[in-house]
Amino acid sequence: MTNDLLGLLVVIPLASAVVSVALIGHPTHQRVLGLASQLTMLALALTWLVRIRDGEVMVSQMGSWRAPFGITLVFDSLSGLLLCAGLIVAISCSIHSFSLIDPQIERRYFHPLVQLLLMGINQSFLTGDLFNLFVAFEIMLMASYGLLSIGHTRQQMAQAYKYLLLNLVGSTVFVITAGLVYGMTGTLNIADLARMVVERTEAGVPLPTGFTGLSVLLLIVFGLKGAFFPLWFWLPDTYHTFPISIAALFSGLLTKIGVYAVLRTFPLVFAAGEARDVILPLLAISAGFTMFLGVLGAVSQNQVRRILAIHVISQVGYMVFGLSLMTAASLAGALYYMVQHMVVKSSLFLCCGVMEQHAGTDDLDEIGGLARRHRWLATAFLVAALSLVGLPPLSGFFGKLVLIREGWSIHWWLSTLALATGALTLLSMLKIWTLSFWRTEPAPSGADRRPTVRVESLRGAHVGIGVLVATALFVGLAAEPIYDIAFHAGQQLTDPTAYIEAVDPLRIAAAVESSAAG
Amino acid sequence: MRPFLRRTRWPVGGPIGGTSSVILRTAVRLILPLTFLFAVYAALKGHNGPGGGFIAGLVASVGLCTYRMSYGYQAFHRLVPLHPRWLVFIGLGLAVGVAALPLAAGNPVLRSAATSIHLGNADLHLVSSTAFDLGVLMVVVGVAIGMISRLDEEAER
Amino acid sequence: MTTVLAVCVAVLVTVSIYLMLSRELKSVAMGVFVLGHGANLAIIAMSGSPVLPGGGLRNPPILGSSDLVDALPQALILTAIVINFAVMGFLLTLLIVTARRTGTLNVDELATLGRSNPGPEGDDR
Repeated sequence: MTNDLLGLLVVIPLASAVVSVALIGHPTHQRVLGLASQLTMLALALTWLVRIRDGEVMVSQMGSWRAPFGITLVFDSLSGLLLCAGLIVAISCSIHSFSLIDPQIERRYFHPLVQLLLMGINQSFLTGDLFNLFVAFEIMLMASYGLLSIGHTRQQMAQAYKYLLLNLVGSTVFVITAGLVYGMTGTLNIADLARMVVERTEAGVPLPTGFTGLSVLLLIVFGLKGAFFPLWFWLPDTYHTFPISIAALFSGLLTKIGVYAVLRTFPLVFAAGEARDVILPLLAISAGFTMFLGVLGAVSQNQVRRILAIHVISQVGYMVFGLSLMTAASLAGALYYMVQHMVVKSSLFLCCGVMEQHAGTDDLDEIGGLARRHRWLATAFLVAALSLVGLPPLSGFFGKLVLIREGWSIHWWLSTLALATGALTLLSMLKIWTLSFWRTEPAPSGADRRPTVRVESLRGAHVGIGVLVATALFVGLAAEPIYDIAFHAGQQLTDPTAYIEAVDPLRIAAAVESSAAG
Repeated sequence: MRPFLRRTRWPVGGPIGGTSSVILRTAVRLILPLTFLFAVYAALKGHNGPGGGFIAGLVASVGLCTYRMSYGYQAFHRLVPLHPRWLVFIGLGLAVGVAALPLAAGNPVLRSAATSIHLGNADLHLVSSTAFDLGVLMVVVGVAIGMISRLDEEAER
Repeated sequence: MTTVLAVCVAVLVTVSIYLMLSRELKSVAMGVFVLGHGANLAIIAMSGSPVLPGGGLRNPPILGSSDLVDALPQALILTAIVINFAVMGFLLTLLIVTARRTGTLNVDELATLGRSNPGPEGDDR
């Protein structure tokens, strides 16, 4: 199905970023503009998601250049679900930031940068081209570098360079890999690559020599963005230094882009043939370590922000677990888990922001008694935390159920590890809950406990949390329709025929053969 | 104090411009219009040959930066009274506008429209992607001179 | 030609890794830039020599046989250069701001600084 309006999801945030630059000095206008653009995109994405609920694929060939010559935008069940979840997270974080962001930070480029970040994220989800995926990553990363360093507190500065340099090296490896892919296969279009793989498998022709090496290089690149074991080390140091609304946005979206890239390219292309025997064990081992070491790290921390930040890693492990099984149901489970995790993790960060406002700190030794004074905050946090843990009927339960059941017959040890991780997640979440909400307030330690940002009203923050927690409940209670869409995505990833036919790249395999021979 | 922030010494005189060499200054007067001319040539040629908005923008900003180095920032601000941010804004707006316009006609983004004008015996081939390239040119010039002036001012502190 | 390029890539990557292992962020930044150039050269080397050994041009894979040289590697490199250019400017600015805020660009000193005052307080905006 052709839908040329897909380009809007990239054009709208870019245009509103441009206009937002012109509105510097008028934060209210910038806010309205940003929110309007995000709501428009969400409306578009939701409409299209409903239209493709039976597993169709929407395609737009940019500039009317047919694939594989031009850049293709693809809106299928996989990208549609993630786009909608990502936009809901972005909207809630923006509303939350209206009340909690430091005016000094908001003053100039905050809103344009958020829009550019969304542009990069939307484009990464939509693009059907490996090199364009690199460009989208870079747009997103440039915006995140900007968001990382505005406000430049001394501590942020001491950490910002790590994130920047690491991602720079990762991007360079990505460029080299993209060049190698082109050199070996003669195409960068994902559908075209998938067709090459299918045709070669059917004809019994082996993949180009060194294809496994490409897969491993790409896995390193995406693993770095997605914080897989052992490439996660940049994450705990960076996330807790952000302003809290930005931390929520990043924790919900950025690592998921890395997971998404693996989900999009590996089942279709890079885990085919011989590469499969290398990639799947790598993913399985990485999943085990990511899940378990991540949660151990979280249990050992004593600050809410740090616990939540390190938890991101552990949750990424579940998604990698689903990827490492690479069956239709496990990929669907991983996708469902991604959607619920984006929503739930961001809502926990948003709650943390309000907790810091009330208590003046996020150190668990010093806060307490919040449940008595702030009943709704306590409820929202509990719902989000238990969704993360995966207690039925909340959203995490269903995702974990699918993954663990699928994994039982293939890697029973990973399923066991996933259950143990769940128990430790419960422990760390209960630690936050009992210490900060349930117990009575500890005696003041005499330290200065003013909140770092003075705010007039917390209304925006409450709205943001409310929207996200409601979405989390919806994802949990309406698991079936969402899982149906996710299952279509899983099927399309394991059987790429529909995807290839929708993108319909020109037949060039013969030309590649002759050029490689000549 | 810190070596990184030590006052920068340009190879050709000070940043304010009072001490740069006469030869460079005179040469820049010649170089600047030439770089602009070459930039326009590269931008227009970019549709079918090597060239394009990005390269043209870099050429133009090389000229502007040489001017800034030899004459100093005050003269530079007189030459380009606009804040570089506005160049980026206008350029990006132009590029986005051209990219998004085909949507209104039901075509995918970035679709280029082409038309030919007959001027006597010659055909002038006009394409909408030229406007996109001009937008890119402005963005590149804006970013380059903005970045270099910013770093320069930082060093002059 | 491809061999020469491959040797160049190797040298560039070696130099950049040596620079990146330094404790000074300035050298690390230089190393990253050199690595970017190495990556661009690697794409050129990977796309192969445009002139085939027996004479004649190497055709672009997606066009089949024609008299054109494959321009896509150049397009990829141009995009990569543009992005590298922007990131380089940002990185340099970030380093300047970091130096101004923290008074150092040494990785070890920055690490102790990051640990010694936890939490978002203690900053001077």
